[in-house]
Amino acid sequence: MAQIIIQGLLLSGLYALIAMGFTLIFSVGRVLNLAYGSYLMIGGYVYFYLTQLLGVPKIVGILMATVAGCVVGLLIYRLLVKQLKGDHVAIEISTLILAVVLQAGIVLLFGDSSKILLPIVPGVIHVGGATVTFSILAATIISWVILIGIYIFIRKTHTGRAMQAVSMDAKGAAISGIDSDRINMITWGISGTLGAVAGVFFASYTQLSPSMWVAPLIIAIAVVIVGGIGSIIGTLVVAHIIGFMEILTTAILAPEMRGVFTMLLIIGVLVIRPRGLFGREEL
Amino acid sequence: MSFLQIEKLDAFYGKALALSGVELSVEEGEIVAIVGPNGAGKSTLLDSILGLTTTNGDICLDGNSLIGTGSAAIVKCGVGYAPERCNLFPYMTVRENLLVGAFTSRENIDSNLELVFKLFPQLREREHQETSTQSGGERQMVSIGRALMTSPRLLLVDEPTIGLAPKICLEIAEVLRRLCKQFGTTIVITEQNTNFAMTLAERLYVLETGEIKASGTVDEMRNDARLTEAYFGT
Ligand SMILES: Nc1ncnc2c1ncn2[C@@H]1O[C@H](COP(=O)(O)OP(=O)(O)O)[C@@H](O)[C@H]1O
Ligand SMILES: [Mg+2]
Repeated sequence: MAQIIIQGLLLSGLYALIAMGFTLIFSVGRVLNLAYGSYLMIGGYVYFYLTQLLGVPKIVGILMATVAGCVVGLLIYRLLVKQLKGDHVAIEISTLILAVVLQAGIVLLFGDSSKILLPIVPGVIHVGGATVTFSILAATIISWVILIGIYIFIRKTHTGRAMQAVSMDAKGAAISGIDSDRINMITWGISGTLGAVAGVFFASYTQLSPSMWVAPLIIAIAVVIVGGIGSIIGTLVVAHIIGFMEILTTAILAPEMRGVFTMLLIIGVLVIRPRGLFGREEL
Repeated sequence: MSFLQIEKLDAFYGKALALSGVELSVEEGEIVAIVGPNGAGKSTLLDSILGLTTTNGDICLDGNSLIGTGSAAIVKCGVGYAPERCNLFPYMTVRENLLVGAFTSRENIDSNLELVFKLFPQLREREHQETSTQSGGERQMVSIGRALMTSPRLLLVDEPTIGLAPKICLEIAEVLRRLCKQFGTTIVITEQNTNFAMTLAERLYVLETGEIKASGTVDEMRNDARLTEAYFGT
């Protein structure tokens, strides 16, 4: 029992971080960025390449991974999303295709086989009968720090409030002197950064493989669909629902089944409540 | 050249022409009303000043053309806008809505907030209420307040009285008058309610089907029997 609660909390923190970058884009631009999982893949591989192949210090590896994620996010916005001028179906199709192309790129560079990341922080700790690696503990703590930081940024800074404003009323934002293109650009950059850092942690929790973008993308979509919201609190709540569901499935049924229930949850909520359980899309 | 000078302005929605050949000028410190029936193009005209529509022609503020500069730059130039449906941020509080208005005018946040709360004491009491839960009158006040947070030299107000009780209309009129007198803010207001417009403005433009049909001071317009009959009822 303690094991399930502890592992559930740890995994959910990471899932909230994974979902956050995706929800931000959805809230501000109302578009599903299906290339989002690729940020995690890119983050994971950049970290792997620098720290395990080149021997760069881990902290530098994480920093460079976030830089790569940010740059990729900005490029996707500028070269793809902006050109498609709010055509959501076109954006969703092309970001999905881009994810597949990026996967092929990773296969070309690093091969098809999956790779194990060395623990970011080596060691384990025993809590109430549960074994917790320092890596996942660090990942969860850093996730929470980032989430709280993002929350404060969005609530308390001019740029953060401008992101909320664009998400709630585009015309209202424009007549307040907010350039929505710039705000979108910033949002895509933050999203890429969050995705990449989440990718380093996610890869160290599972493993590095060219298809690793799929599972986090589904988690992120589940959070948006089930929450129907871009609100940060909503993201946290739904991330915990999904995290605990997966831990329970793993413990009771089989590890292979965990993603399945997340997907069934997406379909179920779409059928029953098309606007999500909480029914609000603004930040 | 006038403070706000609009020349040969056409505005389009796709291929449909919503304004054609609009000529309009406003002097500094004036209150000017644009009156006309529903669908005349009043909102389109104000949107055009903010650069939110596709247009031909020229719009100059204080001698500088606003065409092609983008709405963010136009707001920064000193144009504040309280649009028809308010376009508030529904899940933000009154205070947060006002703070968004300060996006381009951050040095003046404290003094502008103080000004807004002085003009609309009701908003100070409801500072932390979400605007989605407010009445139409309060939302209109927040909308005008948010426009004031941009430190405007030109304030555009689109049909502020629509759907509001007479008492609140008077309150809003009083605030606009005060802004003009005490702070020298130039104000352009649109109205379907011609009587309200005449009590507030010094000069009027009549807009119909996208064209300016008449213009003049309130007295001139009142005394012109033909105009009175056509546009102001009896
Ligand atoms: N977003 C829009 N798309 C297409 N046509 C519009 C749009 N907004 C307004 N129009 C048309 O432009 C004309 C002027 O509308 P508007 O400026 O809203 O008039 P008013 O504010 O005087 O009621 C109307 O014929 C209206 O149908
Ligand atoms: Mg209108």
